[in-house]
Amino acid sequence: MDFKLIPSTCSYCGTGCGVLFQVMDGRLIDTLPMKTHPVNEGKLCIKGWNLHEHVISDKRLKSPMIKKDGELQESSWDEAIRVTADKFKSIINEHGPDSVGVLASAKITNEENYLAQKFARAVIGTNNVDHCARL
Amino acid sequence: MQEQVREWLEQGKVDIFLGYKKIQGHPLPYCFTKDNLDEISELIVAEARYSLEKMATKIAAEHKELKIGLLTRDCNQRALNVLYIWNQLNPENIKTIGVNCCPSNLKEGGDCSYLKPKPAPSVKKMIGIDNNMAVETAEEFGQKERINRWMYEFQKCIKCYGCRDICPVCFCKECSLEHTDLIGTGNIPPEIPIFHLVRAVHMGGRCIDCGLCEDACPAYIPLRLLYRKVNDIVLNIFDYKTGTSADQSPFNMLGEEVTLKPKPI
Repeated sequence: MDFKLIPSTCSYCGTGCGVLFQVMDGRLIDTLPMKTHPVNEGKLCIKGWNLHEHVISDKRLKSPMIKKDGELQESSWDEAIRVTADKFKSIINEHGPDSVGVLASAKITNEENYLAQKFARAVIGTNNVDHCARL
Repeated sequence: MQEQVREWLEQGKVDIFLGYKKIQGHPLPYCFTKDNLDEISELIVAEARYSLEKMATKIAAEHKELKIGLLTRDCNQRALNVLYIWNQLNPENIKTIGVNCCPSNLKEGGDCSYLKPKPAPSVKKMIGIDNNMAVETAEEFGQKERINRWMYEFQKCIKCYGCRDICPVCFCKECSLEHTDLIGTGNIPPEIPIFHLVRAVHMGGRCIDCGLCEDACPAYIPLRLLYRKVNDIVLNIFDYKTGTSADQSPFNMLGEEVTLKPKPI
């Protein structure tokens, strides 16, 4: 019998609510709000309360998928990144860097968002950067 | 307290002990076992209240014979009584260490900071319901004003189900609040006041007035007051004091025959 509560931060939006994951025998079974967390003070929205469900969901993608022969097929990360980079290159060569846009996310960290805009500006060469909160 | 827990674990009187430990600066519920006896010196009584008995219920559902020890304030103890009555926990498998309680109508001079009443903002006082109100004061409003004030509170609901999810005595497999025939889906706020009243009715003979629901409510709806009123009715009609009475709740009867005569209201 193994029962643990693991403090973490809710990954649903940028607010950063403190959550506690209940883990029994290595399985994630439930989510609780962290009472002493300065951001949410023991409260959560419905998405936060059900965080564990998207972790344990059968529908969760566990590896990258590439469309081959009209069908999505599982692949390795190396292959997925290779394919994406090649496609980007060919699109940029053909239509110019402004044919690409980058949509950053509220679900990733500040630092990751910084990297996303850096990637857009320095690697792809476009100022087409926007954020899902403005969609 | 720490020595007592160590002894229980060493002698096998309990297999696990649910208490609190400071992790990353936060007092968090922690499961002490024989395998981490060296951590027992870190066992604390936290100001933060979590429903340890709800965790125990979840553990016991999968490990039926496991002996569980836990720290209990008065509210945890009342919740345990209800869970015993409704066969969610077996009292033979539970051992408790009682600790000091929160300040409340029931007990003065407790040490839980969470229930120290915060003064209500003026808008709540003007058009809503002050969470610190006594049941009797809340009844002094005229009928029309009273429903308007409660509707103001209910329309703030963001339907997070936090009140149900945190409730130590909410254990039903199917919940009426998610039953599409009873409560419409897809809208925020949910159908009011039915959403809150369905839950309030189900709290009759169940709610042990721990206040965790109100603590977890992002909209500061005075749920505790609402459920207090419901259980006042249960007390007046059935003479049943939820959480302290040892018998079955009057709402646990099977069959068609009504054996309890309700008093005239």
